[in-house]
Amino acid sequence: MLDKKLVEKVIDKALSNGADFAEIFVEDTYNSRIQFNDGKTKQNVIGKDYGAGVRVFYGETAIYAYTNDLSEKSLLSAAEAVSKAAKGNNIIKPIDLTKMEFENIHPISIPNNTVAKSDKIDFMRKVNAASRNYNDNISQVDINFTERIQKVMIANSEGLWAEDSRNYTRVGVTSIASSGNEKQSAGVGPGGHIGYEFINSLNPVELGEQTAKIAAIMLKADYAPSGKFPVVIDNGFGGVIFHEACGHSLETTAIAKGASVFCGKMDQQIANPVVTALDDGTLPNAWGSENIDDEGMPTQKTILIQDGILKSYMVDKMGSIKTGYARTGSGRRQSYKFAPASRMRNTYIANGTNKLEDIISSVDYGIYAKKMGGGSVMPGTGNFNFAVSEGYIIRNGKIAEPVRGATLIGNGADALMKISMIGNNLEQAQGMCGSVSGSIPTNVGQPAIKIDEILVGGRK
Amino acid sequence: MYKNEFKIIFDYAKDKTDDIEILLSAGNSFSIRINEQNIESFSYADSKGLSVRVIKDGKTGYAYTEKFDEEAFKLIVDEALENAKYTEDDEVAIMENHPDIDVELKMYDEKLNEVDVKDKISFAKDLEKYAKAADKRVFNVPYAVYGDSTGYVKIANSKGLDKEEKQNSAFSYVGALTQLDDDKRMGVEFNVGRDFSKFDAKKMAEKSVEKSAALLGGEEVTSGSYPVVFNNEMMATMLSTFSGVFSAKAVQEGRSMLVGKMGQMVANEKVSILDDALHPKGISSRRFDSEGYSSQSTVLIENGKLKSFLHNTQTALKDGVKSTGNGSRSYKGSLNIATSNFILKPGTHKESELLAAKDKVIEIVALQGMHSGANPISGDFSLSGEGFLYENGERKHSLKQFTVSGNFLQMLNDVEMIADNFKFNMSSYGAASVLIKELAISG
Repeated sequence: MLDKKLVEKVIDKALSNGADFAEIFVEDTYNSRIQFNDGKTKQNVIGKDYGAGVRVFYGETAIYAYTNDLSEKSLLSAAEAVSKAAKGNNIIKPIDLTKMEFENIHPISIPNNTVAKSDKIDFMRKVNAASRNYNDNISQVDINFTERIQKVMIANSEGLWAEDSRNYTRVGVTSIASSGNEKQSAGVGPGGHIGYEFINSLNPVELGEQTAKIAAIMLKADYAPSGKFPVVIDNGFGGVIFHEACGHSLETTAIAKGASVFCGKMDQQIANPVVTALDDGTLPNAWGSENIDDEGMPTQKTILIQDGILKSYMVDKMGSIKTGYARTGSGRRQSYKFAPASRMRNTYIANGTNKLEDIISSVDYGIYAKKMGGGSVMPGTGNFNFAVSEGYIIRNGKIAEPVRGATLIGNGADALMKISMIGNNLEQAQGMCGSVSGSIPTNVGQPAIKIDEILVGGRK
Repeated sequence: MYKNEFKIIFDYAKDKTDDIEILLSAGNSFSIRINEQNIESFSYADSKGLSVRVIKDGKTGYAYTEKFDEEAFKLIVDEALENAKYTEDDEVAIMENHPDIDVELKMYDEKLNEVDVKDKISFAKDLEKYAKAADKRVFNVPYAVYGDSTGYVKIANSKGLDKEEKQNSAFSYVGALTQLDDDKRMGVEFNVGRDFSKFDAKKMAEKSVEKSAALLGGEEVTSGSYPVVFNNEMMATMLSTFSGVFSAKAVQEGRSMLVGKMGQMVANEKVSILDDALHPKGISSRRFDSEGYSSQSTVLIENGKLKSFLHNTQTALKDGVKSTGNGSRSYKGSLNIATSNFILKPGTHKESELLAAKDKVIEIVALQGMHSGANPISGDFSLSGEGFLYENGERKHSLKQFTVSGNFLQMLNDVEMIADNFKFNMSSYGAASVLIKELAISG
């Protein structure tokens, strides 16, 4: 993407004030988004993201600059700016960059740009029709089709030269059910690090009906009760609880600052012994998967928690310098506009042995959260909250009436200890995770889990 | 600026499109983050992007590029035309040479650009230093951040519109964590502005610690209905969460709780809400919106009555009204609607009067879960809150984390008093503290 001589020159310039390390990240990304709502193709946007970021380390200080002018003059000026932001006494000799070879574990069989736009729109029309036909209360359906082909080049003062191309495909569907002044919405967003073959594998009718069904049920639902109850969170997007409440606190960004409840807990029990959790960038064609991270390290399958014992944090290069733990291929960023940071990939709780029915039947009175919505966590305290988008009361071990407006509120460390049963129905779900290095694709996932007690915020 | 780039595009598009609009934004920014008196991160940015919106045979298409060369400029015109072919939207915005307005807005201060980087670094270090010194219960200062940016925008269209504007601003925030036994609390204080000399690290740091420490040692709240005071910052947070219901686009597409309510009483008569893109103290003030349409102050709710939605030219055409100058798009996106400076008009009461208005009042000073526990379509919310219990105007104690639930429209109807302590938040939503008749609280 850039001439090797120029890249070497930029790295040398960035090191010229005695820095410990210098890196350049170059990106050329094709973005396409088709928005379908009100039963029509409303907006199409195509565009090119293009730029480079230069980063240097002085001890534990990271300095970053980016530009979207990739001329020699502009890149050298960015390199000069980062080199001058501090002073070091390293003398790193000019290095020879060697191209890194790796296997592409996320092959693409149908590149998106070989598929006609009209085929993509036809798919969206089918989803729209299925959703609207499902129920008279469906008043609006929003469908987004997004494609992103991100070409990256990463080179650094350790001699690394790595290039990769990442092809993302995703479709998002939100159905809104209305009746009088009441409105309820439900959405799904399947996607992958994959080509158009992914869309071909989806059934548009099922996709449209799925969200319509949830919105229609929730429209008729009464408000959730408030109080402390046992909660069964079903598989798939339910994994957002682990992502928010624990995942972020296991990133070295939080650990290095001492702003995590899991600091200093390595090899200690932080979860109920039934819990094993992983962060895996190697799942073939999965939404949060990569070949290499944004620091050019091959991705890996990282066991975070084994039988309740903390086994690893998620570690990027600076995180490794600060904490002493080995890198886990977790350095990720949205684009050249962000310096990389330790981030999640496909993060999930591993399968247990219980059947969903057995977990439900163990609860006298509680909440069954079939689908979860989004959530957030306060770093440092570990306090989290997230919304139940499809919820039901569990009464005498059976799923009873639907409830809406429930929010689960708790503390990550506390909730991990209170997970008492784990199902055998592991499923992954796709999301966009926002943090210091921008918004990136990640999978959340889990089988059904039971949390013995959690605060439910409802209106009754 | 950028005259040559625009000419290349206009020339190339002339015979291909019926109308074309070019939007360019460019800017540079700086930010710094301190941890343990070390520079944790330090970044410079220099970026730009350009997009075209084309109209051909009554259809609209978009494309953008961050690569600036003749080939890329021509390619986006062709891509936008290709996109337009597949658009079925029948509501096309009409491009016009919107007239300029005669107002003086001070959105740019050269002096901010002259502040030495060393002074910015020592300011951010002071944020952490003073926060740690303020109270021995401070065990971590995870946020000690300063940043500033300069932005330039240029919009031109084939009807002769050609406008440009430059602005700059600085921001800072500090977050302190305090601990008492097992109870850990976070307090955040922020500042935005154009005058670096008015950024007071000591004052900000001490305020963040005060906010955090005041919450320590909370007691559990007994679940039930309570009169609630949202302090000025949290009322601004509520406004930002639900401001989307005023978008004419949301209303026209049936995704706002204000559908069919124009001209009706939708809030208590004490409530007036406006969007003011010309507010002298608003950090989001601007002379024109993303279509080049001139800015104005728009009354949305006047003494409880719904008076207007927020419009761009496209939604205005459909409703048979004039645009309110709230057209919004980044070069990466398509035309939408956004707030500028969004304001709940302050009242005349002192905040202490609100807290003393009932036997028991819960004051909410922190909220979490805005993007998960709030449904902007139905107005329902169930949020995680932090705050204090007041009895007869006296602060009894802080509360352990609780949830507050209700409906935004119902809440606007239940406004009983509005204080005089108006304040903008970092995202240009402004409010004073508000007393709500009752909301469901559970702990």
